[in-house]
Amino acid sequence: MKNRTFQSLKLFIGIFLILHVLCPIIALATHISYGDISEVLSSAQFAPMLWNSFLSSLVTTIVSVSIALLLAWCVNRSNIRHKGVWSVIFTLPMLIPSISHGMGLTLLFGDNGFFTNLTGINIHLYGLTGIVIGATLYSCPMAFLMLTDIFQYEDFTVYEMADVLGLSKKQQLKAITLSNLKKPLISAFFAVFTVVFTDYGVPLIVGGKMMTLPVYMYREVIGLLDYSKGGIIGVILLIPAVIAFIIDLLNKDNGTNSTITKPYVIGKNRKRDIFSRVVCVVTLVLISLPIITFVILSFVKQYPVDFSFTFDNITESLDLGIGGYLLNSLFIGLTTALAGTLITYYAAFVTARSGKNFSSMAIHLISLVSLSFPGIVLGLSYVLFFQGSFVYGTIAILITVNITHFFASPYLLAYNSLSKFNSNLEDVAYSLGISKMKMLVDVYMPCTRGTILEMFSYIFVNCMVTISAISFLANFRNMPLALLIPQFDSQSLIEPIAFISIIILLVNVIAKGVIYFLKMYFARKEN
Amino acid sequence: MTEKLIVKNLVKEYDGEQVLKSLSFVVKEGEFLSVLGPSGCGKTTLLRILIGLESQTAGEILLDGKDISKLPASQRGMGIIFQNYALFPNMTVLENVEYALKIKPETKADSRKRAERTLDMIGMSDQLNKKPHHLSGGQQQRVAIARTLALNPSIVLLDEPISALDVENKEIMKRELKDIQKKFHSTMIYITHDQEEAFFLSDRIMVMSNGTIEQLDSPLEIYNSPANEYIRTFVVNHLNQKFDSLSKCIGRL
Repeated sequence: MKNRTFQSLKLFIGIFLILHVLCPIIALATHISYGDISEVLSSAQFAPMLWNSFLSSLVTTIVSVSIALLLAWCVNRSNIRHKGVWSVIFTLPMLIPSISHGMGLTLLFGDNGFFTNLTGINIHLYGLTGIVIGATLYSCPMAFLMLTDIFQYEDFTVYEMADVLGLSKKQQLKAITLSNLKKPLISAFFAVFTVVFTDYGVPLIVGGKMMTLPVYMYREVIGLLDYSKGGIIGVILLIPAVIAFIIDLLNKDNGTNSTITKPYVIGKNRKRDIFSRVVCVVTLVLISLPIITFVILSFVKQYPVDFSFTFDNITESLDLGIGGYLLNSLFIGLTTALAGTLITYYAAFVTARSGKNFSSMAIHLISLVSLSFPGIVLGLSYVLFFQGSFVYGTIAILITVNITHFFASPYLLAYNSLSKFNSNLEDVAYSLGISKMKMLVDVYMPCTRGTILEMFSYIFVNCMVTISAISFLANFRNMPLALLIPQFDSQSLIEPIAFISIIILLVNVIAKGVIYFLKMYFARKEN
Repeated sequence: MTEKLIVKNLVKEYDGEQVLKSLSFVVKEGEFLSVLGPSGCGKTTLLRILIGLESQTAGEILLDGKDISKLPASQRGMGIIFQNYALFPNMTVLENVEYALKIKPETKADSRKRAERTLDMIGMSDQLNKKPHHLSGGQQQRVAIARTLALNPSIVLLDEPISALDVENKEIMKRELKDIQKKFHSTMIYITHDQEEAFFLSDRIMVMSNGTIEQLDSPLEIYNSPANEYIRTFVVNHLNQKFDSLSKCIGRL
């Protein structure tokens, strides 16, 4: 009787994934007309676009992962103070939409930018330079988080052993540190490449003449409503994501070094600490420049000519209806986070704690596969699959597409923490006559409150900044705040864009803060 | 003593391979029966089938004369104790014991009292409000035992319950297990690979290898008249070696 709830919820997860992940992708594949394939592929623009996308993504990935590695090393392998604060600062750029980074760069380094006017140096932002800088800003935090994780869970006893065996520091770096970092670096490399390859926000603003595939797809679908051509580009954008997914699967650690016996001990080294501090401060300045610019722009009369203080831009922005769109954003963000956390947590409960059988393995695989769908491709697939149905054009479809888009990461968070529980708990519960659902509510959920909050915050923040999956699905009534940015950009309304970016950042910082204090509160209550 | 549990021709197959080869035996009321054998002999599979976590391929299980072969674990009224304790990490000692009592309608009313009484009998009454991660391994195992015994199980199954403890605590827990069994008058089936544990604790020992029963007898009987060559090497010689090395040690003193 009680197990029926468990089974029907499992069925619900299965149906949800089939309907929201598999069906739309099939719809995308079947919607492409073969005539268009040859037309798109043989067109004069195609080869340069593909090359532009590839080149800008590759350069960005190398730059971004290198900086992330440097920052992760500085924070985790030196004795600088306030490490927690630095970690938070370095992930701040994740809290604003990618397109805002593009706008920030324009304001600073564009032909009429603040920095350009001040120094007379024009860095010729539009093109490869702009894309690389902008994309690095939003992709670097992602790589930073991935690599920080590895640095934090390195086992120090291996280094002690190496000391005993008489290995030099250089040999240790090669034999231990780099070999520990190899797999995560590959993962980070592919993750960053995929994200940059499929983003249209930054190149739309600072790409200049350098047309990339996602921008082309965006214009083709939004401007010309050509779904077939958009679909072809969508399938091409999927390729690196699929490769990344396969490599990630092959690249998985089998948990051999999951238990650390001793955390890394950081020795004394003044030079290293000073170097780390300088790197951190420089990064802080670079990260805060666009944010400060947004603030200035929101509150001055006529940038960059008249810097006197005014509320005019704010009132103008509010006249444009920003308040209502903020409510849309908050509603979408909170509902998606709530429903998404529930669904992904339950999916993880099914796969992590009910033994290995076909259905749970299928759910696990589809959940992971959703990681490789770029938002823009997922969005188009949803247009093709749900067009004409009653959900199309409603706020509900925006919420579902976001749940699907952000499914994999919270799912993995929950899967990892649920897998850590004692393997005999189910057996004990079963013999005591405690149902699975009761165990879920009374034991697993209270024990993983921190993870649940983390999942909620991940989904919420991403909903606030995303402009990809929802871009083809939203209309002027239900669109979230971030989607106003590309629209205002085409109307050259710069001040409202700056103001929107600030609001989104503020909302996300508040959300993160609330989550942080809740986690602290629960952690204190635990002991 | 009456017959508590009767197992008839129990067979378990995995992918066509027999891991339990037609086992038949009887456990008496109030008895402490050890199932002794090396890893892979099928003893844990037997335990999982007895409690209902896995189903047998063929054979019958009778508890108090009733056929329970097809009943789900929650309706068999047996309790289980694992090597890794499997306590609910978010609940205090008292809550851990009380939790299952609260769910069952027949124990719901006096669940608190019953939990406290059981914990008192097991010597944990001064730790009621501690969380499991603040307890030692031995203490955690005591809570797990209290959690099981509070429900008044018809039979308690123990799967190598003390092998995760250090040597000193192992000795203490061994003695306590015997006391606990007497106090609660429970029938216990004890899975182990350790000859000394089995000889110290058991009324009777069932020695297993390769899914069959090699001998089922009292410790003394097994030691004095081993049924076959396997018992002689795995049990008798092993114990003799222990005695030898011990007496050599004492001799050197």
